[in-house]
Amino acid sequence: MTEVKKKHETMVTLFLYLLGFLLLWEWLRPVDELTNTGNIYIFLGFLFLCLAISFSKIRFLLGALLKTVYILYFIHYYYFEGSFFQFSWFSQFLDDFILNISYSFQMEWTALTFVFRSLLFFILLWLMAYLINYWLIIRRQIFIFFFMTLVYITVLDTFTPYEADGAIVRTVVVGFGVMGMLTFQRLVEREAIGKGLASIRKWGLPLFIMIGASVALGFGGPKAAPIWPDPVPYLTSYSEDSGAGAGGQRVGYGTDDTSLGGPFIGDDTVVYETEVDQRHYWRVETKDIYTGKGWEVSSSDDPIPFTQNEVFPISSFNQEGLEVKELTANVSSVRNYPHIIYPLGLKSVSTENISNSFRVNEGLEKVYTLEGGRTASLEEYTVSYDIPRYSVTAMKATESLEASGLSQEFLYRYTQLPETLPQRVKDLALEITGEQKTWFDKARAVEKYFGMNGFTYDQMDVAIPGAEDDYVDQFLFESLKGYCDNYSTSMVVLLRSVGIPSRWVKGYTEGEYQGPTESGKRGYTITNNNAHSWVEVYFPEVGWVPFEPTQGFSSNVQFNFDETSQSSTDVETPETEEQPDVKKPETPEETVSSESSFSWKGLWDNIVAGMVEHWKKGLLLLGIMVVLAFIAYKLRLKWLPYVLVLVFRFRKKDDDFSRAYLALLKQLDRYGIKRKDHQTLRDYADYVDFFFSSKDMGTLTSQYERYVYKGKLEEGCWDRSRELWENLIKKTIA
Amino acid sequence: MSQMNPLINRILQNIEKVMIGKRNVAELSLVALLAEGHVLLEDVPGVGKTMMVRALARSVSAEFRRIQFTPDLLPSDVTGVSIYNPKELEFQFRPGPIMGNIILADEINRTSPKTQSALLEGMEESSVTIDGVTHKLDRPFFVMATQNPIEYEGTYPLPEAQLDRFLLKMRMGYPDLDEEMEVLSRAEKRSPIAELQPVIDLEELRELQEEIQNVIVDDTIKRYIVDISHRTRTHSSVYLGASPRGSIGLMKAAQAYAYMHNRDYVLPDDVQYLAPYVLAHRIILKSEAKFEGITAEDVMARVVERVPVPVKRLVK
Repeated sequence: MTEVKKKHETMVTLFLYLLGFLLLWEWLRPVDELTNTGNIYIFLGFLFLCLAISFSKIRFLLGALLKTVYILYFIHYYYFEGSFFQFSWFSQFLDDFILNISYSFQMEWTALTFVFRSLLFFILLWLMAYLINYWLIIRRQIFIFFFMTLVYITVLDTFTPYEADGAIVRTVVVGFGVMGMLTFQRLVEREAIGKGLASIRKWGLPLFIMIGASVALGFGGPKAAPIWPDPVPYLTSYSEDSGAGAGGQRVGYGTDDTSLGGPFIGDDTVVYETEVDQRHYWRVETKDIYTGKGWEVSSSDDPIPFTQNEVFPISSFNQEGLEVKELTANVSSVRNYPHIIYPLGLKSVSTENISNSFRVNEGLEKVYTLEGGRTASLEEYTVSYDIPRYSVTAMKATESLEASGLSQEFLYRYTQLPETLPQRVKDLALEITGEQKTWFDKARAVEKYFGMNGFTYDQMDVAIPGAEDDYVDQFLFESLKGYCDNYSTSMVVLLRSVGIPSRWVKGYTEGEYQGPTESGKRGYTITNNNAHSWVEVYFPEVGWVPFEPTQGFSSNVQFNFDETSQSSTDVETPETEEQPDVKKPETPEETVSSESSFSWKGLWDNIVAGMVEHWKKGLLLLGIMVVLAFIAYKLRLKWLPYVLVLVFRFRKKDDDFSRAYLALLKQLDRYGIKRKDHQTLRDYADYVDFFFSSKDMGTLTSQYERYVYKGKLEEGCWDRSRELWENLIKKTIA
Repeated sequence: MSQMNPLINRILQNIEKVMIGKRNVAELSLVALLAEGHVLLEDVPGVGKTMMVRALARSVSAEFRRIQFTPDLLPSDVTGVSIYNPKELEFQFRPGPIMGNIILADEINRTSPKTQSALLEGMEESSVTIDGVTHKLDRPFFVMATQNPIEYEGTYPLPEAQLDRFLLKMRMGYPDLDEEMEVLSRAEKRSPIAELQPVIDLEELRELQEEIQNVIVDDTIKRYIVDISHRTRTHSSVYLGASPRGSIGLMKAAQAYAYMHNRDYVLPDDVQYLAPYVLAHRIILKSEAKFEGITAEDVMARVVERVPVPVKRLVK
């Protein structure tokens, strides 16, 4: 009988080892895929050997010898010449070992040789096998290891190219299996119940069915979409330095535009607060080289320094074709950026600290702030600038490159296009602008092209160009979905295709209107969500003119339609100042309706919108309440005693004595003096009194005993024992 | 534990004049005496079983009888026999040793089942029937049986069903080093047992036995007792659990124990303390469990550990 039982036990143990091996295997699989470790089966074999030795209960020394031989044999096999038994290789191995030890002390991790790394890996696996043995056979608990395995696999799946679809299923099956078996083993040991085959079957069958059912359910059931986009493409592109085949997600303002595409992640962080007279976009920098994947800047000249008194060295306008109005604006920067934001037409920058100076990079037109010759960030500064009012007539004067009279160098720079640009983009540009004669009309046509023709504004579902794709081509012909970078880049490329000099500008929109400020200006806050990109087109008569191709945005550029008859109605750019509190639509869906007439539908929409808004607030409130409740629950030891004392102070009846006593028991339990289920009150009271070195609990308990086990409550006992009770409750506060 | 009933304390002190240590055995014997039950002492020879019983009997000024059981002992040697008296021309009953108040049944497992059952019948019925005449036994009637657990050759182990007749089963155990030294010192002189004076007479003992029945056993406690008994029946190592008679015995013993401790109500502590002594010999283990070396005492410890102590009044 014991013979049979032993056999069953051995079977169970074997099964446990097998499952442990499978779990460890899951750790090795990604190593094979993600690193350049070859011959992973050697390591797997070693793991198997280790567990087999543990299972067969070979003496430790013999087992260690076997493992060492295995390690040495395979290290020799892969790294050394000659016969294994000549041992001449062994001295080389030792030298290598000593060398690596010294590397380790110098922390020259990259210098470690492969031999040494393999050796370390073997030792690591040895340790792992030992741990598994310990958990499975001695502790009979594997949950932590199982959990770590799951975390390991999910993290790898999320952040590396490793696809853990199969691994997670395998791990869950194996992990649940092994935990189920171990629970059974623990029960057997604790309860001293029979370990016969029958009970193994009784336990194993439901376990098997439950694992099978839950895995099948999980496998077949619908799964929620990932709550964040797969970061792997971004990480791979990040590690590959250039935009070869992948872009990434973008948040706020960044300097790297070499690989555009991918979702734009919303971020409410406030970056600037501004005070202006009228709204306009804020520039940070401009880029001129389109690579087919994104933007770079042509090799810039030395930065041009300028002080607070000097005029900004780069001029964007030719004065003849426009009127200007000089304005100033105050900017306070929340983030410590070393650059400033400024509107087109900047004339000078001033700060309170007269020692601050600036330098501007001519290619980028990015203005850095300096303090004592070093870049520094400014918290507040004032910019003065010219707001232009462009003469349409002047702009319409230019009809062709030849007539523009611009220098070859300038044209080369601002009509640059990559050679890989697909022909159909150029064809499309001709198609859009074909009917227009002047540059201005062509630019307007391209700008308006995006308003129709099936383009949608989308920040999330934005394609990343593959290795063979062109960013603009993909947007124009395939995805038709995107945000400002897609629109503005496409417009620049289309304009350049028909020979109109243009450039890509990055910065922020005017931001969110906050109401008038003390100084009588208009206050805005700019968040990372307001990061934006747009287009500037060069007209010889007026200079750089901003255009806004992105759906749902308007740049508030003023044109002077001094032209007499020309269809001024089809150019709907507002002449007047914008309405005071226009919320800039971030997405095209949120069109601001200025309808004033009352309608039921409108009311209904308002209610729904309100509900949606309040739903969010409600959720937030609920969340806060849950958090508060959780905190209160966690801290209940601190405040509950006071509540108890207060509550029972107003209870006079003797009946309440038993309630008070039970409350005390609970409170002591929370305090950490736990009464075991089989512990009698008297025994417990002794323990509590010993703990607090008092006699209160004993006195109280003997009264309570009389109540519970005799059924008699002495009159006035609650009044007499109230003080003892309060003493005890208060002791739990300390 | 709290103070003892003064009368009980006197008896215990009296016993302690003779017995060194072993207060718990003396206490438990008193529990059985007061609850009108009987005790089975299981231990090797020479640890003072007889001395214990004699000291107890002397303290009570009761009639003490001793029956040494041997394989050839006949039932009539226990109960008594009717002998024809030629002078008076009739049978005359000559009472056997069972007709006493406190009886030591030494090595009860060495006699034949027939003789064993004569004694056990007397314990159960408080009367014996000889030649068709029923003889009522005197009250109090208290049997302390001993058996030697290590001898198997030529013994007749008591059937499990008959073990149920004993209220308590316990072991003496060896004295510890200091106690044994003290035993030696006392053995140098004449045994003090002869000088032991009774501290309570039979009438007082009977009154005590009556009073014990007034000790309150609340429903909460009854429920606890029943819970424990039930648990023995469902335990995985147990073939046959404690009977309702076992539950009754546990309650009575607890009453006596509570009374001895100057309480007129029973506590879970009393039940917990007594449960192994009252119930362990009433459960029959599965043979697998026996092979694994599990004892009935282990099972009882487990059971007591598993049954939650009631801390609230039972609401019906």
